[in-house]
Amino acid sequence: MISDDPQFYVQGVLKCDRRVLAKTITLIESSLRAHQDLARTIIDLLLPYTGKAIRLGITGVPGVGKSTFIESFGTMLVKKGHRVAVLAVDPSSKRSGGSVLADKTRMEKLSIEENAFIRPSPSGGTLGGVARKTRETMIVCEAAGFDVMIVETVGVGQSETTVASMVDFFLLLMISGAGDELQGIKKGVLELADAVAVNKADGDNVERAEMARKQYETSLHFLAPSSPNWTPPVLTCSAIEMTGIDKIWESVLAHHKRLTLTGELQANRKKQAVDWMWSLVKEGLKERFYQNPEVKKLLPEIIMEVESGKTASTLAAARLLFFA
Amino acid sequence: MSEHPDLQKWKDLAAKQLRGRPLEDLNWKTPEGILVKPLYTEEDLKGMEHVNTLPGFSPYVRGPMGTMYAGRPWTVRQYAGFATAKESNEFYRKNVAAGQTGLSVAFDLATHRGYDSDHPRVVGDIGKAGVAVDSVEDMKILFDQIPLDKITVSMTMNGAVLPIMAGYIVAAEEQGVKLEQLGGTIQNDVLKEYLTRNTYIYPPEPSMRIVSDIIGYCSKNMPRYNTVSISGYHMMEAGADSVLQTAFTLADGLEYVKAALAAGLDIDGFAPRLSFFFGVGMNFFMEIAMLRAARFLWHEIMSRFNPKNPKSLMLRTHVQTSGWSLTAQDPYNNIIRTTLEAMAAALGGTQSLHTNSFDEAVGLPTEFSARIARNTQIIIQEESQICHVVDPLGGSYYVEALTDGIIKAARKIIEEVEEIGGMAKAIETGMPKMRIEEAAARKQARIDQGKDVIVGVNKYQIEEEPLKDILEVSDAVRGEQTARLKEIKRKRSEDDVRRTLEAITHAADSGGNLLEACIPAVRARATVGEISDAMEKVFNRFVATTQCISGAYAEEYSDSEIFKSIRKRTDEFQEKNGRRPRILVTKMGQDGHDRGIKVIATAFADLGFDVDIGPMFQTPEEAAQMAVENDVHVVGVSSLAAGHKALVPQLIEFLKEKGGEEINVVVGGVIPPADYDFLYQAGAKGVFGPGTVVTDSANKVLNVLEQQK
Repeated sequence: MISDDPQFYVQGVLKCDRRVLAKTITLIESSLRAHQDLARTIIDLLLPYTGKAIRLGITGVPGVGKSTFIESFGTMLVKKGHRVAVLAVDPSSKRSGGSVLADKTRMEKLSIEENAFIRPSPSGGTLGGVARKTRETMIVCEAAGFDVMIVETVGVGQSETTVASMVDFFLLLMISGAGDELQGIKKGVLELADAVAVNKADGDNVERAEMARKQYETSLHFLAPSSPNWTPPVLTCSAIEMTGIDKIWESVLAHHKRLTLTGELQANRKKQAVDWMWSLVKEGLKERFYQNPEVKKLLPEIIMEVESGKTASTLAAARLLFFA
Repeated sequence: MSEHPDLQKWKDLAAKQLRGRPLEDLNWKTPEGILVKPLYTEEDLKGMEHVNTLPGFSPYVRGPMGTMYAGRPWTVRQYAGFATAKESNEFYRKNVAAGQTGLSVAFDLATHRGYDSDHPRVVGDIGKAGVAVDSVEDMKILFDQIPLDKITVSMTMNGAVLPIMAGYIVAAEEQGVKLEQLGGTIQNDVLKEYLTRNTYIYPPEPSMRIVSDIIGYCSKNMPRYNTVSISGYHMMEAGADSVLQTAFTLADGLEYVKAALAAGLDIDGFAPRLSFFFGVGMNFFMEIAMLRAARFLWHEIMSRFNPKNPKSLMLRTHVQTSGWSLTAQDPYNNIIRTTLEAMAAALGGTQSLHTNSFDEAVGLPTEFSARIARNTQIIIQEESQICHVVDPLGGSYYVEALTDGIIKAARKIIEEVEEIGGMAKAIETGMPKMRIEEAAARKQARIDQGKDVIVGVNKYQIEEEPLKDILEVSDAVRGEQTARLKEIKRKRSEDDVRRTLEAITHAADSGGNLLEACIPAVRARATVGEISDAMEKVFNRFVATTQCISGAYAEEYSDSEIFKSIRKRTDEFQEKNGRRPRILVTKMGQDGHDRGIKVIATAFADLGFDVDIGPMFQTPEEAAQMAVENDVHVVGVSSLAAGHKALVPQLIEFLKEKGGEEINVVVGGVIPPADYDFLYQAGAKGVFGPGTVVTDSANKVLNVLEQQK
């Protein structure tokens, strides 16, 4: 690391020194205890400078055009005078631990914008996982003066729920498919959405996209809305032709205004902060359990006993937990 | 046909000689997945649809012409072009005098991408991988004293195909040569650019329109000119095996045919002028079989359009020996490789041939190496006596069986592409590119393990003095070109230029033949860059999305010791530093051959690195910015087009300027050994020449990172 002094990072981030910003995120992502402690101090010092940015989560199945969408959407926001930070998570290989981080590569124009900052991160190898990393990175970027946060999820799986629990607005990207419009997207994800956008409404696909839009609208009608004060709109857009993108931003702004007015936004954020605390507690408990020297010592022996049938699983668990 | 009466006796004999090893041990599964047995007999030909046919007749498996080389040998066509038009011209004239019968022009990357030499994005590219052409004045110098009505000219141009084609036409016009006298080939094969080489300018749709506009114009006005050279060469160089090369090339061809038909052209009006360009590598019999299979399949594909002219059904092709098979180590071995590849091309029945120079793995050919390359094929033609018989391997049980194997496997892939909706659609899905990259990663892994032998690289290595006599293009070319651009702009009528450029933009927007629209602009001395921009206003510049496979390298490697040991090292790095070693691989400049960085990206990720991939055509400043913001430990620069001496020092400067002075830089690719010192002096921490085993470079990168602590 270039410095052990938290003030070095805090001052750098507040000045939006991009190198220091990058290094701070590296600290957050690090699995070393010393880095974690330093990162925590920095976050704590930066917290007062945050809270004003709009936080956006974007998800969709692979192939839906997430990167291209963010490229177009982000470029539009920059043109409107916003400062955009994009946090993209790429999956790490379970076998090698390595990863190919190609998201930013697909956001070529946005990545060279002065008022944009894109940080691709590997999903593996950190304590507390993607969730902790992304939340803290958002705080750092907000403190650096970025006013729109875009969090891109890996695509499929449970990560949507996690991301939805740390953003103000959750956008679900879809494309028109062959009949099975809802294939690949769980009902639960649809329920989280604050808006659905059917991408790739271009060329000879415009009509099909419009048909898909109507179907999603009908499906959404039967689901509980994400908020009592907001009916999620279903829109069409073309990230490649940059059409319909502005309508999506208008929805984000309308949602923000509405929920600020009703106080729901503040309530959500308070709830999210508490949720975050609890998830950290859970992570911490787990970590403390595994790091406990008694547990470490006992574990191999107890596993063997359970395997051989000498000790019941229930009893074994109790023994381990009482030592911890 | 039934089994040979004595086949059982042969099997018994084989069993005896193998001393207990089963006969199946001698079977070999080719990279294409075709099973090769140790012996073929007449029985193997049973049921094959292509055997026992005649050359010059459908299905043309044995050759498009009846007499083939017995009547006239293939055209010796050496691809060349470097630095300035004047130097290239001198080179061409010497070659013509030395027995070359056709010219083949290589352009520099700036020209390919439609940038004039004074454009800030192309600082490192001018005159490097070919000749710099900015306007018709350069074209006139290029063809000075070369009679364009007699010498056929092949031009490798796909991106900026319109201004270059128009430039050739106007240069001929000003030489007093009529359009209908012009013979030669324009590559004009943009689809494969999206697959491998990335020297496109516009998105696929308008690019396809440009292709069919050129086909349309030439069919009407230039009956001797080949309008498209449908190229598999670049796919092979990117790692495609023979089946993939055949399938995707023919599928590209089919797409052009459909586009021309959709534009209202008659099949027999253009199909006879479609030509092909295949790459031939070291898998000797497979390469021969590939050319034969391709002719059969093209006949099959074209038959569905019911052409009346049999020429519409014939596949005529140019062949180039593989550049990728050349090594920097023990480089004179490359002459032998090229000879074998040239033999395969000739026995496969090519219509023209380029043989590579032995020094191309380390730099551009010198006059000496170019002479040896040319003589390689002239000796085969004039000394070896192979030309007297048509398709001499026709009827060989083995070659016919391989031909059949490729026909069947390639046909399946072509059908798969058809199901997706044709090659343009398939390219959008990324399917062909991923297949090729997967084949490339597997091949690299086989080489790195010594499963595929390359003499001097992974077997029989020697301690040696590197080649010293290497051609280097001076950075002064850029200055010369820029000065000429200024001169042209001073002399021409700006009114004419504006008017003709506006006409191009209009045609791009609302229809009309674009080549026809470009010719007046070229006459008015509008530049390649200006003409490209006039269309860019309507079409936009295309940016490809980068996809990357993972796991393919590891799969071929299985769980070797070296692999495990590197994974252990990256794991330990993570434990010590809190994160995995992170590397940005980038290709700066206009060179779009991305095979190298894709293979590296895949392999490094499989070895436990976090890998960022830089977008195509990055400038050094953009690469530095990305390295600093993503906070990588090391930047790996891939350089194949001689731009490294300009680009690497700039990258290192920008890294310092942006606060990333601790970020290491390593360089890999076609780097002449003479440049190693320069690069180390400039601050590079590692230089990996061609043939470096990926696991070695990974270990060296880790050494650099560990030493830094």
